[in-house]
Amino acid sequence: MSNVTTPRTADKILLDEFLVARSKILEIAATLDRLDLAPGDVGSMQQMQRLKAGIEILHDSHGRKAERVQLLMSREYDPCWRTNLNVDAGRLPAS
Amino acid sequence: MDYIDPHIHMVSRTTDDYETLARMGCVAMSEPAFWAGFDRGSVESFRDYFRQLTDFEPKRAAQYGIKHYTWLCINAKEAENVSLSREVIAMIPEFLDKPNVLGIGEIGLNKNTRNESIIFLEHLDLAAKYNQQVLIHTPHLEDKYQGTRMILDMLMGDSRLERSRVLVDHVEEHTIQAVLENGFWAGMTLYPISKCTPQRAADMIEKYGTERLMANSAGDWGPSKPTAIPDLIMELKRRGHPRELIQQVVYENPKKFFSQSKTFLG
Repeated sequence: MSNVTTPRTADKILLDEFLVARSKILEIAATLDRLDLAPGDVGSMQQMQRLKAGIEILHDSHGRKAERVQLLMSREYDPCWRTNLNVDAGRLPAS
Repeated sequence: MDYIDPHIHMVSRTTDDYETLARMGCVAMSEPAFWAGFDRGSVESFRDYFRQLTDFEPKRAAQYGIKHYTWLCINAKEAENVSLSREVIAMIPEFLDKPNVLGIGEIGLNKNTRNESIIFLEHLDLAAKYNQQVLIHTPHLEDKYQGTRMILDMLMGDSRLERSRVLVDHVEEHTIQAVLENGFWAGMTLYPISKCTPQRAADMIEKYGTERLMANSAGDWGPSKPTAIPDLIMELKRRGHPRELIQQVVYENPKKFFSQSKTFLG
């Protein structure tokens, strides 16, 4: 796979996209405020825990953030799925 | 700029959309068979649908100078009905010689179940027996990663399939690398909320290059934007990418992939 170098420098990207990123952070902040103000507790809900873990990824020091958020929100792949589902991949099952 | 939308469901769109797409530069499109929003009750429903895809839609597109191609299958959502799926698969060869049929699609997984996997394998067998190209739907949201890996396992388990004739669609950041590294074509679907925005698609082009990579709108009856490819073109232009690179993704790559089908006119 050949990489295409981005034509923009980092400071150009930041200037181009600051307002868009700002608005998206505000949307997340406002969503969390909405949850805070609403009756009930969502702290133990899986969706809330995933959102919190996603936010952690945003401000850690590692790269591949979009890919890591995607994986966080994904079911795990089980390499033994063919056995568990009784599917013989690559050949048709007997029935 | 002329472009090809390799995945759009025009049966769900109006004739006004054809006109808009033509004005935006769309010169050809391919329409995979998909879920109608409800489960169909008989093989005859699919026969009528395939007639619509192979007879009516090409005429509607031609009024606006757009070449319309299609792919045939029973989709993953309806694959839970195994007996109906097998009836549809047995009927598909009636249509494979129609002049706008590119291959079998969009087959794939939805909830990654046993029945979906069995019907996926039977579609692959049909494609191999009839020397057809394949267009693959990968699941939505939290099921995508698991389902894409299962699909790759099944594809790579069938040595009859040429990987260069298989398009794995709806890739995102966590699935694109495995698809490309294993020699398949990858499609990025540009959707308003789920799947991929034009900005994230541009990021993936910058990271993985343009080889065997396409973009599509997958415009259908749900929240979707049939003019999403012009949005990607605009985003790539905005970032300063050259015309040749943009043209590679939105025109030359679909053309190259489709050209492996004997029905594609170029």
